[in-house]
Amino acid sequence: MVVRLDGVHKEYGDAKALDGLSLEIRAGDAVAVMGPSGCGKSTLLNMVAGLDRPTSGTVEVHGHDLKKLDETGLALFRRRNVGMIFQFFNLIDDLPALDNVALPAQLTGTPARQARRRALELLDELGVAERRNNYPATLSGGERQRVAVARALMNRPALLLADEPTGALDSRSGEQVMDLLIDLNQIGQTLLIVTHDPQLATRCASRLIEVADGRVARESTLEATA
Amino acid sequence: MSAVWRASRAAVKRRRLQTFVIGLVVFCSTTTVLLALALLSAASGPFDKAYAAQRGAHAVAAFDTTKVSREQLARTARQPGVEAAAGPFGQAVVDIPKDWLWMAGGTLTVVGRADQAGPVDRIELLEGHWATAPGEIVVNWSVQGSPDPELLGTKLETPGGATLTVVGFAASMSKSASAWVSPEQMAALHPASAQMLYRFTDSSTEARLSASLARATTGLPKESLTGAQTYLTLKQAFSARADSYLPFITLFGILGLLVSALLVGNVVSGAVVSGYRHIGVLKALGFTPNQVVAVYLTMLSVPAVVGCVLGTLAGNALAGPILKVAFSGIEVGRASVGGISPWVSVACLVGMPALVLLAALVPALRAHRLPAAEAISAGGAPRTGRGLRVQRILGATRLPRPVSLGLGQPFARPSRTLLTMAAIVLGVTTVTLSTGLTSTMVAYGKVGREDGGARIHVTTGGAGNDRTPPRLSDPQIEKRLRSLPGAEGVRARALSQANMTGQTQPVFADFYRGDDSSYEHTIVKGRAPATAGEIVAGPAFLSQRGLKLGDRVTLELNGRKITATVVGQLIEGDARALEATWESFAQLAPDARATEYTVRLASGADARAYAEAVAALDPGLHASVLDSGNAATATVITFSTVFTVLLTLVASLGVFNTVLLNTRERRRDLGMLKSIGMTPRQVVVMTVTSVAGLGAVGGLLGIPLGIVAHRLVVDHVGVVDFPAHMKDVWHAPQLAAMLLAGVAIAVLGALVPARSAARMTIASALHTE
Repeated sequence: MVVRLDGVHKEYGDAKALDGLSLEIRAGDAVAVMGPSGCGKSTLLNMVAGLDRPTSGTVEVHGHDLKKLDETGLALFRRRNVGMIFQFFNLIDDLPALDNVALPAQLTGTPARQARRRALELLDELGVAERRNNYPATLSGGERQRVAVARALMNRPALLLADEPTGALDSRSGEQVMDLLIDLNQIGQTLLIVTHDPQLATRCASRLIEVADGRVARESTLEATA
Repeated sequence: MSAVWRASRAAVKRRRLQTFVIGLVVFCSTTTVLLALALLSAASGPFDKAYAAQRGAHAVAAFDTTKVSREQLARTARQPGVEAAAGPFGQAVVDIPKDWLWMAGGTLTVVGRADQAGPVDRIELLEGHWATAPGEIVVNWSVQGSPDPELLGTKLETPGGATLTVVGFAASMSKSASAWVSPEQMAALHPASAQMLYRFTDSSTEARLSASLARATTGLPKESLTGAQTYLTLKQAFSARADSYLPFITLFGILGLLVSALLVGNVVSGAVVSGYRHIGVLKALGFTPNQVVAVYLTMLSVPAVVGCVLGTLAGNALAGPILKVAFSGIEVGRASVGGISPWVSVACLVGMPALVLLAALVPALRAHRLPAAEAISAGGAPRTGRGLRVQRILGATRLPRPVSLGLGQPFARPSRTLLTMAAIVLGVTTVTLSTGLTSTMVAYGKVGREDGGARIHVTTGGAGNDRTPPRLSDPQIEKRLRSLPGAEGVRARALSQANMTGQTQPVFADFYRGDDSSYEHTIVKGRAPATAGEIVAGPAFLSQRGLKLGDRVTLELNGRKITATVVGQLIEGDARALEATWESFAQLAPDARATEYTVRLASGADARAYAEAVAALDPGLHASVLDSGNAATATVITFSTVFTVLLTLVASLGVFNTVLLNTRERRRDLGMLKSIGMTPRQVVVMTVTSVAGLGAVGGLLGIPLGIVAHRLVVDHVGVVDFPAHMKDVWHAPQLAAMLLAGVAIAVLGALVPARSAARMTIASALHTE
């Protein structure tokens, strides 16, 4: 089991973002989480990524009980176990694509040359190797997201988390990113995707979890359409 | 206007921390500047005011009446350039006994004047009445307050057999005489000199005063002018103590101003740059460019005005005690010191907010020019082109990634980096200057104490202090003191007021015999006096009288005269005092005896036991252990510490502000870095490294500036002439420590925002555009 959430509650003041949510994700799963705005799906993603802590309940990812980890422990957990893709890419503007991708490995102490070699391999696999020296500002949206995916894969994470990965892309770029996620899942990468986009969910995920009012409202298995 | 005010108020509320930082910076800077201005104004203002009130003489001239007639002198008053003149008045030197009134004995320059009024030198009568009849004398009182009226009636026997009775005390800012008698009484004293008091149309400089005096005395017989004293000399003496503090207080004031200007510029630029979206929104809402500028200027005026008012209050509270210290022991006459001229507070209250607004104007005008659409898009658009090459190079190094990322950050905003670095440079300059001054002053404080032994001050009883006179003779006392256990050397001293040719005011002559080992450390130029006719003095005494090594002066005491040569300069000394050998004293006063003894004890000797042994020796001897502290050293070190703390705080606030702005601007980047596994410790390392590099460079630049500033200060302390070994205080370990000061300032300023960045909630930063 890669992810196990059991009775997770999250409250921000009086507002309940998660209300006893439970969920399990096995290795190799591709899970899409959908739901209306404010239903708690981004909070769910933050819990799994170790970016936020539950008010109560258990969050276990790759054998780690995140509630027991301090801030440094959470950082090390993220570094080793999780890769994240964001709607707005979150690339560092001052670094070229190659250095953005190499960054997670360098934080673990991997020498710059070795980290860059691996980053170049990833960029090559994702089809943006020729843009390795470009800065984020000079890349298209699709290219930026590919670079972001490469960065997320840099430390070979057990779990890839994607938060609206096509939300800021045009349809063509969105299609490319979807294909990329499908390819990754097909080679065994576990995926957890939060999205509003039914097309993305149905194309990339094998399970669909619908969240409403901080709980799992419905769960279904999807046929891969790719 | 209400829209502008509302927008400004909202901006202040949104930037509470930055508003506080600006207020604090302005507060510290205003306090520093006010202290410097207060001292500057106190050094000259009160003297000028009191001098003008008495129509003080620009020159007090003494003439040899055997060479020039009264009529010839009277004609000098009508010469070109003479605005007003008084005299000629008869002038004589009268010997006074030891401990007459408050004086140590010696001579008194007495002038015969019919009244205290007149066109020049309107003497202020403090007690009693003016000397109008024979046998009456009025004595000059040169310090603040007034003498005890009970002293009226004190008698003085003159060598000619006449008895003078003190009928009044008066104050002359011109210091035209030590005492006054009626012209009739003066005639009875058979004066050999005459005094003329002049006010000139041009009295701005010493050279012009000399030229005016030369023009006034043109046509008089050669060498009839025996001496002249200008008011600039008196003014210099008045402000001598304050002058010694002025160089470094002024320098600290300038440093404070520079740091404030830089920091305000940095803070305001940051506020404008980080507020581009805000500016765009304001313009989109219909604010005119001028209204946008007004919003930003108003936003900054609030902390600037509050900081300035509080700084002015704090400066005024601090300046009073500081001025008291700076002017203690000075003959201020009627000049009122200790108060702070109102213009100083007004200058601070107007100048500091003006400085803030000036610093704010440049970035505010950028906001003025910025088109609304560009401003809105600039708020979220990625940066390009800045320092990118540096980031790439650093990324390829073997440095830990948080360190290389931190080192690259300053290149992203070069102008902000430069302003921050300038603040650090000035902070390091201050620390270096302060450390150097402290080292110099500590070395100065140890002068004469190099052997580590205590010093015992032994005084004799007598009429002047209502104590029993010693039964032992002067040579016996010296011999016994030397024979007591622990004594390594005994130095006997006699103090006398002597007349120096050409000077209306007496000089304090200290005559010494015995142990002169202290001269080894206190003589900075020339040598110690070794025989009769050799004198040494401090730099203030020599410079105020235009004397240099090798010059000859004539000293007069008890009607006896000796010609003495200046053979050495002391490291420091009273502006009115000189030192000479006992042999000189023996020629001037053959029967004189020492009144004080300084005993140098061996290192480790029991000072208290020695003092008790002295008391047992003779009840007429009073021994005390000399304090090892030095007031000037303590004062300068205290001043330096206060200014250093203030300016280091201000420089650290500059760094704090920069790091705060950087972390806010890079909030998204920080969130992303944390999301990919950057630990809180790595965030702190990266953030602190981003300014620690600046700190190191700031240290490298600030240290030489501090060394130059230190040299400037110690070379311009008029009352002390520091020898080379006291100025060469910089050694490798100290310089290395100074280099760390830059890093320390940077780390100090960066630590709080860095820790705050490390604790930042990253989820919200990552999920918003």
